[in-house]
Amino acid sequence: MLRLTLVLITFFFMGCSEHLVRVMPYEKEYFAQDKMSLSPLGERAEQEGHIYLIREASAGGESAFQGGCGCR
Amino acid sequence: MKNILIGIFIAINLFGAPRVGDEAVKFQLPDLYEKHTLLQSKQLKGKVILLNLWASWCSGCQEEMPLFVELQKEYPKIEFEIVLSSIDNIPQSARDFLAKVDKERVLTSIYDEDKTLPKAYRCPGMPSSFLIGKDGNIVAVYVGSLDENGISELNSKIKSLLGK
Repeated sequence: MLRLTLVLITFFFMGCSEHLVRVMPYEKEYFAQDKMSLSPLGERAEQEGHIYLIREASAGGESAFQGGCGCR
Repeated sequence: MKNILIGIFIAINLFGAPRVGDEAVKFQLPDLYEKHTLLQSKQLKGKVILLNLWASWCSGCQEEMPLFVELQKEYPKIEFEIVLSSIDNIPQSARDFLAKVDKERVLTSIYDEDKTLPKAYRCPGMPSSFLIGKDGNIVAVYVGSLDENGISELNSKIKSLLGK
């Protein structure tokens, strides 16, 4: 009984703790700034992609979710 | 045990986000342009309200704003009013953006420095809009920006609320 109560209370407070670590959509002002993007300038991103292509002999690896192996 | 479960259920409901059918969150916030002028939610009772929580840095908010200007122009403010609540850290950014989109200041704008409304509504995304009926209850919730189709659906809801 006591254990079950403790488990329920733990779950209840875990829900509260989520707010401490989660950035809510209305708190993303600083993330929306240009300086927060990996390549703030469009031209520069294109240039970086070109350099990457020559250096690594592969394309498509400049973003965070692709391996850059060029084998897609 | 039963009491604990009831207590947890009540607590979740008390701290849960307002949903369709619930009473809209009461507020008292300053005007975006004149900080000494306060707008209270009770002043809006008897009208159909579209409360839009937005920020100038939010691209979705920027996209839907011209559509809101056109929508507001269709109705007199005594019947239907769009209330924009800016949550920008710097209110001048919101003013600068609105100066481009809403030159005639058709839309009512308030400034929510402490982000009280998105916190109270537990905003799951930006922008978020809440259609509030004449009785002060939430009729519909729109998360994300509204496109032309969304606005026409919203418009038909407004018409039905106004009995037109």
